Amino acid sequence: MCGKAVEPLVELKSCTMEFPGVKALSDVSFTLLPGECHGLVGENGAGKSTLSKCITGENRMTKGELYICGRQIRASSYSIRESQALGISIVHQEFQLMEDMTGVENIFVGHYLTHGGFIDWKRLNKKAAELMEFLQCEVNLSVPVKHLRTAEKQIIQLAKAVLSDSRVLILDELTSVLQEKDIENIFRIIGLLKRRGMGIVYISHRLDEIIRCCDTYTVLCDGRYVNSGSVADINKQQLIRMIIGRELTQVYPPINTEIGDTLLEVRGLTSKRAFRDIGLQVRRGEVIGLAGLLGAGKTELVHAIFGDHKVTRGQIFVNGREVRVNSPRQAIRLGIGLVPDERRTLGLNMALDVKDNTTLPSMRRFRKWGIFQNHKAELGAAYEQNKQLGLNYHSLWQNVKKLSGGNQQKIVIAKWMLRDCDIFLLDEPTRGIDIGAKFEIYTLINEFTKRGKAVILVSPELEELMGLCNKIYVMFEGGIMDVVEGERKTQEVMINSLLGVNENG
Amino acid sequence: MDDFQSKAKRFSGGRKAFFQEWMILFLFIALVAVCAATNSTFRTTNNIMNILRQASFIAIIAMGEFFAILTGQMDMSVTATVGMVSIFFAGFAVKMGIPIGVAGLLVVLMATVVGFINGLLTVYGKIPSFIATLVVMNITRGLNYIYSGGLPISGLPNGFNFMGAGYVGFVPFPVILMFIVALILYVITTQTSLGRSFYAIGGNVEASKLSGINVQLVGVLAFVFSSVLTSIGALGLTSKTLSGNVTLGDDLLFDVMTIVVLGGTSLTGGRGRIFGVVIAALFLQVISNMMVLLEINTYWQWVVKGLILLTVVLVDSNAKRD
Repeated sequence: MCGKAVEPLVELKSCTMEFPGVKALSDVSFTLLPGECHGLVGENGAGKSTLSKCITGENRMTKGELYICGRQIRASSYSIRESQALGISIVHQEFQLMEDMTGVENIFVGHYLTHGGFIDWKRLNKKAAELMEFLQCEVNLSVPVKHLRTAEKQIIQLAKAVLSDSRVLILDELTSVLQEKDIENIFRIIGLLKRRGMGIVYISHRLDEIIRCCDTYTVLCDGRYVNSGSVADINKQQLIRMIIGRELTQVYPPINTEIGDTLLEVRGLTSKRAFRDIGLQVRRGEVIGLAGLLGAGKTELVHAIFGDHKVTRGQIFVNGREVRVNSPRQAIRLGIGLVPDERRTLGLNMALDVKDNTTLPSMRRFRKWGIFQNHKAELGAAYEQNKQLGLNYHSLWQNVKKLSGGNQQKIVIAKWMLRDCDIFLLDEPTRGIDIGAKFEIYTLINEFTKRGKAVILVSPELEELMGLCNKIYVMFEGGIMDVVEGERKTQEVMINSLLGVNENG
Repeated sequence: MDDFQSKAKRFSGGRKAFFQEWMILFLFIALVAVCAATNSTFRTTNNIMNILRQASFIAIIAMGEFFAILTGQMDMSVTATVGMVSIFFAGFAVKMGIPIGVAGLLVVLMATVVGFINGLLTVYGKIPSFIATLVVMNITRGLNYIYSGGLPISGLPNGFNFMGAGYVGFVPFPVILMFIVALILYVITTQTSLGRSFYAIGGNVEASKLSGINVQLVGVLAFVFSSVLTSIGALGLTSKTLSGNVTLGDDLLFDVMTIVVLGGTSLTGGRGRIFGVVIAALFLQVISNMMVLLEINTYWQWVVKGLILLTVVLVDSNAKRD
């Protein structure tokens, strides 16, 4: 343990990190004290992850000094093993759990207690129960974790980190896939850990969370250190200004009011176990929001409209004509485009490059002599489209894997713009992307509506829905609970419907 | 250079990316240079033509397997397909007296059916392709033996020998055939949307489906390509000996897999080039040839080929790519 209470757990002095050709961090300093929650903020690509990897030893910094509990670390030989031994652990947004193993097994994997050579399950179970009691959580630890909810899996990951007697816990975008009340729970746990004297590095795009949960903050921008200080001294606006280096006068562009004919209508759409009797319509120039808790059926509904989820009953009309949509191919031919919630596994093809990802749905448009691909025209079109979206990349042949989340999402949108879609189904288009890119996507949605396109927007953030949508359908357990528009568009009304509470009764 | 040109230029990642992509070509050139410098028999025209000729048909079969692996699958049934084509072709032509042209078409059609079955089992039956094609392999092999009783069928017309042993000028016909096949496949893989779709579903089936690709059709077609190309290679191998033989393909699978992977095809799918496969086939043949010239016991070839595949897979699995 550290000697004095004021001695920082982690102290990073003028750290510089260079990858071949790129300076990811330059001259950044960072200090973490025991018992504090330190928010690390910045746009994607600002260097937050790189910084945390320098602390965990996954990256070796090129220049700079690192002190853990006052002891200087030899940068040349620093490794993840060493950082773990020093009590630093990291919890990622992506799950690093064995899906088919139980919660107990996952928590103790690698640290099994044995008795006479055999695993002592009795003691393990008891210890796990104590752990859950300390965290004040109730998670079923005896079933394979694949049956658990997202939030419960996060708890298991946290439990694992707490078990290994960490002094420093880095939470990298932990909450970006969680619902409001689960986030509350995480905050509560952070509070518990702080009281134990742990230092927590909290990385998030959601600035409200930083303000609510962190004591101190550090802002990074383009790999440079911008500012740090006490969260109590600043507000969200100031934070945004520091992050993007400019003022965001208005986060949401004005909602388009020039509404045209009905473009898409859904009547009585029902799917086994996912949603039932859904009726909604979206007109040209309109943004329709879909709100609902996890498992309310939002994602399944947009996939069903896109022909990727089996429907048992119901009708879909495009331009007033009834259509059959049994596959995404048919949906695309009708001018529908889907931006799925899982960008890395569903939205993009990670084995392909920028160009191929952009032109994938529309490659048949670039033909010469009937069957051959016209590569030149394709390159040109992909270039123009991505330029229009301000994509930050260096080559059209570059693999999409290394692009930042915001840039990746732009490509997913670009491919539907290039395909000339009329109806955009956007499933959490701003998940896990930074505030600058979020703003660009909001502007883009606004531009779609001005051009007479129709948008269905799914989002877990009520504020986002209220800021962008003409009308919001609130789903609860597979049905539409409420349709909110005009003056009723308040957070209060929506939360009631989200939870299935009828305001009249 | 303006912005578009700089972004549209290939290998903007520099020489390293280019080298990585064509590593097999450089290795091949180096290998040939070393062999030619150290062995005088190796560099004779006769020997070089021999290498090309021997590599041709196995290269064609490997190009078939390339499509299965490119889409992230595996086709284990090639060995039995080779035996099937060989024995039924000879059976049709010799025992039943069907003209060889028609007999050839019939066996290619049979191979197409095998490919379809592989594809249907994998794509619609959702069975891992390793198992599906293994099952098909065993059943096909059983049928081959039931049909022939295990005995070879000889007596194919001498004219048919041209396919496997003929010459056009001083170039062996199989070599010409290999390059024609490679050229056609090159055009399909790089210049058509079907080709692009193979790469896309190899990279990510779900994302490809949501981008409007007919993933089922393309998935099945990959297996059909595999079987049809295998049948062409099998006809060539049969033509060399002028007899149908059920065991003709039995030792092929390992070589075929080695060639495909050595050619730069990713075992997880989504990456690879047809000419990489061709060069890899020649590479392997040069090694065999050199070992014969150096009078090394042929059993050592198995050891060496095993080590080659091991090295390639080791390098490929641990390479860091952009």
